[in-house]
Amino acid sequence: MLGCLAAPAHAEQTTYTVRSTEIKQQPFSDAATVARLNENASVTIVTRQGGWVRITSKAGNGWVRMLSLRSNSTATKRGDSGFQSLFNIGRSGSSGITVATGVRGLSEEDLKNAKPDQREFEKLQNYEVNKAKAEKFARDAKLKSRKLDYLQSSGNS
Amino acid sequence: MLTRALLFSAICLLPGCQQNSMNIDFDKALSIAQKTQQATRTITEPEEITMGDGIAANLLGASPLLADDRVQQYVNRVGRWVSLHTERPDLPWKFGVLASTDVNAFATPGGTIFITRGLLQKINNESELAGVLAHETVHVLRKHHLAALQKESGLGVASDLLGEALKDKNSAILEKAIKAGTEVYARGLNKEDEFEADRMGIVIATRAGYDPFGLPAVLQMLEASNAQDSSLALMFKTHPAPRDRLSLLDKIMGNRFDAYPAPAQTDKRFDSEVSQQL
Repeated sequence: MLGCLAAPAHAEQTTYTVRSTEIKQQPFSDAATVARLNENASVTIVTRQGGWVRITSKAGNGWVRMLSLRSNSTATKRGDSGFQSLFNIGRSGSSGITVATGVRGLSEEDLKNAKPDQREFEKLQNYEVNKAKAEKFARDAKLKSRKLDYLQSSGNS
Repeated sequence: MLTRALLFSAICLLPGCQQNSMNIDFDKALSIAQKTQQATRTITEPEEITMGDGIAANLLGASPLLADDRVQQYVNRVGRWVSLHTERPDLPWKFGVLASTDVNAFATPGGTIFITRGLLQKINNESELAGVLAHETVHVLRKHHLAALQKESGLGVASDLLGEALKDKNSAILEKAIKAGTEVYARGLNKEDEFEADRMGIVIATRAGYDPFGLPAVLQMLEASNAQDSSLALMFKTHPAPRDRLSLLDKIMGNRFDAYPAPAQTDKRFDSEVSQQL
């Protein structure tokens, strides 16, 4: 998420709230409340950190829960609403724009008519890594396993 | 005793199958079917893997792998680490980046997972990648594709036929089962399976030490993407709307996932191994 903290100005796009939401001074639920946003309030995204997004708005500036926001669907027709820009800015080696050229090959028809490619499958097998390599890879970046139960579906809770 | 009609439906597990076009021994098939006593035998793990490998080879026929060892090795390490936090850590998990510029990801039975170059290019960090791969692992854990095949084609009843077919890997039945299995990716799974993959996927990614909001961040990116973009057409057609998926995660995540940041090293690594490569 650190990469997102240095958001360039062009990443500031508008997005809106799907429910009434508190703006917090910091990205924590027990941080001081700066202001309250009504449902459907337009906000401008600055950056994301975990489940929180830093915004500016008419009501005030601060942090709101990421999942209280949705992108503006009318703006998406132009293909570059707030979230799209936000989630492209971390990329240093790519413009984030999907080029129209290149291999596609995954349309419905392509899948229905697909013939096996054993050579590519052998290459795939050669990339397979064992547990020990995966564990070393995790240690190298200080990733640590956590214990956590699955969530119940929202249907009956 | 099984009726001929039931047996026929069992043999004709595959869309487009016609009775006289199939090269099988009807008496042998009948005796196998009788043994099943209508009970649907669970497809064994080796069978699941053989089917899945065949489907993976087909998907690779539709789009080859991205020719970049470094990116492939990186994605395999992230994916294998994620897979160790599932209930099936000992499957032969394999991960591949497809060269396609389409935005999509696929899982085949038995533990092969593909992400397209098009989707990888839209991803910003290792937690987002882990979230996508964790979502795909759930399809494998919960055998969603096998269930889709069984539901659509009576594969459950015919699984003994399939078992016979799997002994001879070139059999016409296996080939057709794999073809039918590949076609599932053109139609998609049912919506509840996708929601389940999101719900369980965020937990698996969190167990592996990643930011739980990686998958939701990808869904928000997809929501903000131009729905008219043809590179997103199949993914949008075969999945519930990103907005609905986000609403579900919004309801169940609450504030329970606030205290799980990913180590900063994962971001640096993603930049050097993926962002600067693609």
